[in-house]
Amino acid sequence: MPNHGSPGGGWALPRHELTLVAAIVAVFVITGWLDPNHTYFANWAESRDIILRNTAILGIIALGAAVVIIAGGIDLSAGSMVAFSATTCGLLLAVFSAPDDRRLVTVGPLGIGVAIGGSLLSGLLVGTLHTWLITAIRLPPFVATLATLVGLRSFARAMCLFVTKERWGSESQQINVNTPFFAWLKEHNVVIMTATFLVLAVLTWLILSRTVLGRHLYAIGGNEQAARLSGIRTENAKWFAYCFGSLTAALAGVFLMADSSVAQPGNLARGYELNAIAAAVVGGCSLQGGVGTVPGTVLGALFLRLVIDSVSKLIKASADVYEGMIVGIIVALAVTLTQFGHPGQSGRRLFSGSRGLAAIPTIATLAGLLAMMGGANVAAFADRTGLLGAAVGGITLVLLATVRWLEGRRVS
Amino acid sequence: MNPIIAFRGVGKRFPGVVALADVSFDLMPGECHAICGENGAGKSTLMKILSGVITSYDGEVLVRGRPARFRDTRDAEQAGIAIIHQELNLVEQLSAAANIFLGREKRTPLGLIDDAAMEREAADLLAGLECPISPRISAGSLRVGDQQLLEIAKALSLSSDILIMDEPTSALTEAEAARLERVIAMLRMKGVTILCISHKMDEVFRLADRITVLRDGRLVKTVDRRATTPREIAGWMVGRDLGGHPFHGPRIRGPKLLEVRRLTLPWPGHPRGYRLQDVSFDLHAGEILGVAGLMGAGRTDLLETLFGATEPSWTGEIMIDGEAVRFRHPQEACAAGVAMVTEDRKRLGLFPDLDVAANVSICGLDQAVRGGIVSRSGEEALVAEPMRAAGVKTPGPHAAVTGLSGGNQQKCIIARWLLLKPRMLLLDDPTRGIDVGAKAELYQIIDRLCRDGLAVILTSSELPELLTLADRILVLAEGRITAEFSRAEATEQKLMEAATAG
Repeated sequence: MPNHGSPGGGWALPRHELTLVAAIVAVFVITGWLDPNHTYFANWAESRDIILRNTAILGIIALGAAVVIIAGGIDLSAGSMVAFSATTCGLLLAVFSAPDDRRLVTVGPLGIGVAIGGSLLSGLLVGTLHTWLITAIRLPPFVATLATLVGLRSFARAMCLFVTKERWGSESQQINVNTPFFAWLKEHNVVIMTATFLVLAVLTWLILSRTVLGRHLYAIGGNEQAARLSGIRTENAKWFAYCFGSLTAALAGVFLMADSSVAQPGNLARGYELNAIAAAVVGGCSLQGGVGTVPGTVLGALFLRLVIDSVSKLIKASADVYEGMIVGIIVALAVTLTQFGHPGQSGRRLFSGSRGLAAIPTIATLAGLLAMMGGANVAAFADRTGLLGAAVGGITLVLLATVRWLEGRRVS
Repeated sequence: MNPIIAFRGVGKRFPGVVALADVSFDLMPGECHAICGENGAGKSTLMKILSGVITSYDGEVLVRGRPARFRDTRDAEQAGIAIIHQELNLVEQLSAAANIFLGREKRTPLGLIDDAAMEREAADLLAGLECPISPRISAGSLRVGDQQLLEIAKALSLSSDILIMDEPTSALTEAEAARLERVIAMLRMKGVTILCISHKMDEVFRLADRITVLRDGRLVKTVDRRATTPREIAGWMVGRDLGGHPFHGPRIRGPKLLEVRRLTLPWPGHPRGYRLQDVSFDLHAGEILGVAGLMGAGRTDLLETLFGATEPSWTGEIMIDGEAVRFRHPQEACAAGVAMVTEDRKRLGLFPDLDVAANVSICGLDQAVRGGIVSRSGEEALVAEPMRAAGVKTPGPHAAVTGLSGGNQQKCIIARWLLLKPRMLLLDDPTRGIDVGAKAELYQIIDRLCRDGLAVILTSSELPELLTLADRILVLAEGRITAEFSRAEATEQKLMEAATAG
């Protein structure tokens, strides 16, 4: 039970979390050592701020994703919710600014309060909409939140055009925010975001593992029918879960708007929902529901961001180009490792039949291409990328072929 | 005559458990051989080995005199062995014909799928099994009995001559079971060997030529049907003489608690039009009311309506303490002191990811809250008493609930409800899938709870269980009450007659 990540497991970190801590330490040490500049050891502060800021944003959204996933649902709309909340915030600031102040410098404390409150409220509204679609209309959570994923961003853009036209007489795709308060927020973003993330994490942990509501969320995720037949008001618990999911995204929206000094619904936080779900899954949440922890999710977010930063250090490439690949590989690996940890699955063959035969060159080709592209950024291999790619691809091919051969022998 | 299948010292261990040890017996061509044993005796493990689901085991299996070691179910199919699982293996969205030929679809010369040919052949196969359904109908819309015959048709189309059936009549109506028995007799005429797992003694004694009894993974005996009796077999299964039931002495009947009058639950879209019709009865504190009925007679619907778990579309009156109630959610029923142990423990009762204590405390967790936070020690103290009362045996309150035996899991669910101190306990087939020893324990627990003043409604698919426990027995058939007996009047014969009436 303890390594299932359910409540009541005591204070000790279960196996999954310990593995993540070990992995984080390992990535940190290996990167600091391999990196020619040894940035992590020599000039830690700079990397620390980038990693903390990114982890806080990813982590805040991931906490929401985790709560929804633990309750047996899924929230695909987080990225659009971020954009929707940022736009709401920007538009409310516009409403409270002086009539001709298009840079929104003049907003007073009341306007700022209403803007932030309004964007958080927008999260609650979207969460309520999700709950209604899921419990009353009986849409599957995937479909309901897919609809808002697509719809909310477009809605935010339309809203942006409408309000700017009404307010200033000309339509605009974005709203510049130069309010001093948000500039201050941006200046201290690392401390404020990290602190917010940690406070939110502790709060979420308390709710999930030490309240009746939290227990009910686990119960619903594990067996919804049984939960209802045990007298649990499943709809109300889901209401909380989806509101929490949207609220965390709304909070991230305010921070991201402050960070970029602009509310731009078109592109803000595109794809963030998938990274947040990935962080929760790496942190041990099961998409089947009923399983997952807050410490795991926090560590999952930190691990993802650390590896992304590490790769950008090692191959001197822009982190966001490689981000998707890294997240993809880590999610696949993390879930594979947790599954292979279960007894009874260890005997499964990786490369059986013609399917397996076809998978070997596929994986080898991908590995070779990746090595070639990555090698271009590393001084030692810069002018021998073709050779490097061929070598890595070839070695992978031979290794996997050996695995297949060994598997074949073991069976017969 | 040489055996068609011979088990020679077959054994299988799972981590920590010996599922099967040194089992040897023969299967003769064309015989119907029954395997009996409690849950966990190793019946399913044996079936899985023979059908190629389990591939690593000790000892050997000889098929037609030659050693066989199947790598997967396909290997077993090729050797002519087919298994009909209790949980049927059909793709519900596909047609009957498509299911029969799944994975071996017939093709036209162009390589396209040849539905016409498959449907023709499927219709022939099904007609031969007294199953006059259209091969185009989707498998999901068939009744369970027809789905089972569909699986048999599939096995026959694979030209299997060894058929394994796991609890084949457990979900069938009487008529369907009778038809299945005729089909089995017909298959045996054709020389098909049948290996059948069954709990139902009367069925075993009607069908089987020989009976093999397993206990704790070991073979107790293989006997000729004519040389034994059901009582003797049951004794071998549990390793002791069952004896009579221990519940002597009348219970003290308390005041009237529940009154149900002309309860009718509509069933839109179904030819019958109702799930329950004009159901009226009373229930007193300190009394166990048994509800008998075949599958689909409305037993579960009745309990779910009382518990507020169905759509509240029923008409009639439900009165508790003389006050009319209409629960719209189980939570309202809980608040009124009504508790329900659901029929399907795994699907409707257990939380597999939560530990034992959390599974017990789930409905009453509020009582362990201190300042908004669930207190761990408070929760442990809270569940201790109901777990003792329900006789839960667990390594500790935080053990995995999935690690407990079926009987102990069921006791956890009873403990869950005792925590709320209910006045009325609805038990929907509480001993299904529980072994004989644990059943006896559950009977004692239920009896004690009733003597402590709880009003109990008990449904069961096993008539002897009702005859053992209940003070009165209602019989439901097709949603109506067809008879009511006191314990003294009731016999299995009378109950079955009433259940099959109308």
